[in-house]
Amino acid sequence: MNFSLTSQLIGAAGSNVDYGETFSFLWESTGFFNLQWGNVVMIIIACFFLLLAIKFKFEPLLLVGIAFGMLLSNLPAAESDWIFHPEWWTVQDVDYINVLQHGGLIDILYIGVKTSVYPCLIFLGVGAMTDFEPLLSNPKSLILGAAAQMGIYVAFFLAICFGFTGPEAASIGIVGGADGPTAIWLAKALAPHMLAAIAIAAYSYMALIPVIQPPLMRLMTTKKERAIVMKPTRKVTKAEKILFPIIIIIATCLFLPSVAPLLGCLMLGNLLRECGVTARLSDTAQNALMNIVTICLSVSVGATAHFSTFLNTKTLLIIVLGLVAFAFATVGGLGFGKILCWLSKGKINPLIGSAGVSAVPMAARVSNLEGLRAKPGNYLLMHAMGPNVAGVIGSAVAAGFLMAVFGGGA
Amino acid sequence: MGDITILDALIISIIGFAIVFVVLIILMGVIYLMGLAADKGHVITDKLPKFGNPFKKKKEEGSANEEESAPAPLAPGTCGELTLVRTEDRDAAMIMAIVADTLGTPLNQLRFISIRRVDDAEVK
Repeated sequence: MNFSLTSQLIGAAGSNVDYGETFSFLWESTGFFNLQWGNVVMIIIACFFLLLAIKFKFEPLLLVGIAFGMLLSNLPAAESDWIFHPEWWTVQDVDYINVLQHGGLIDILYIGVKTSVYPCLIFLGVGAMTDFEPLLSNPKSLILGAAAQMGIYVAFFLAICFGFTGPEAASIGIVGGADGPTAIWLAKALAPHMLAAIAIAAYSYMALIPVIQPPLMRLMTTKKERAIVMKPTRKVTKAEKILFPIIIIIATCLFLPSVAPLLGCLMLGNLLRECGVTARLSDTAQNALMNIVTICLSVSVGATAHFSTFLNTKTLLIIVLGLVAFAFATVGGLGFGKILCWLSKGKINPLIGSAGVSAVPMAARVSNLEGLRAKPGNYLLMHAMGPNVAGVIGSAVAAGFLMAVFGGGA
Repeated sequence: MGDITILDALIISIIGFAIVFVVLIILMGVIYLMGLAADKGHVITDKLPKFGNPFKKKKEEGSANEEESAPAPLAPGTCGELTLVRTEDRDAAMIMAIVADTLGTPLNQLRFISIRRVDDAEVK
């Protein structure tokens, strides 16, 4: 737009200010001037996610933040006004001084993602909210939690076949762990340019568990198997609950030290809950801290979905591979559930195997619902919670392994 | 490690899956041992009073008698008594939880005076 005529007119009237240049700068700084087709597409996608979260209640606690972060970072503006600079974060060594001096709001918030602080703090809250009693009373649940990690490795293998690099494939595969913080933790280290797509795929499929899992459950099990009523498990002592987080973190980190940040925070949160002398800290971890970190994490992860890095065919492929990962995770859990059912001579309901995909407690609820459908009064919730929390540990171990293989000290 | 071949991917997948299994099976063993220790611990503590302080033993017996006669301690936030008419404790607990959830009010801020089962004939 040409403002020279305005400038000449006002200049002729005796003004020393170049109003033409001023208006020109003003116009160039507006969203209308900087609008690109990518902005429009991403704003539409963000609004669609907001609709899913608010109207259809798809993981609203996370999706509202993610969608709004996406909206904020894709609002058209001059580069100097960007609140997030995706190109600053995809380099090997991030210039944190530049980020602090010149970064926008989301750049500052994103430091928590890049340094793994947010996923670990989320795990602290998850640990404080999780009751491991079903797992302690039935340790066989851990096998189901391990089996359900099959989806991670199937998706990893398929991603390599589709031409992704090793670190990218590992980040895509972890979507099958059905664990948002773990997926973010691994993706930010191995494939930061794909973080948004991976986080969105992970949380979207977690919200879709009641849609994805039941058909597979009915396909892989007979009605007789689904109707198996499991016996109540033994009572767990307080001492066991206190010792569990301490022993688990020592035992696991002796094998996979790379998993220490995630699993350490999970177990610290659980110890705060169970030790009985830190009620205030446990309450803070479960509520205030968890909510604050969820806001920061969801907004900053959503903001990484900038059109310059998000709108490509790889994103579509990630979404498809994420679905494959979820499906195979369910199949793995159910398959081993059937094996345990056979070994126990029909005492274990194979439906609890599908809860091994993490996604606490949604997957356990789905197992419970399918059990009730097969036989009214067949409550499987507490039995399914065992594999469910075992899945959290399993996906953290799988992520630790992939980090050890591809991380190279990231 | 950057680009890898399909064969490498297959091997890494198998090793990774196996490692998850091995680690979780070891954790399963650890949890079994903890459970076993807890059970043994009970056996040991059950035997302990035989060698314990005789004064302590008397005191424990006395307190056991008191416990039998005394009513169960009230839960935090409890206020007054709830009368149940033809209603099981379990059903009453469920009803109270549903009411609290529907009203969006914490259970300890609600007061239930009585819960009575109403038959179909009474409704009509």
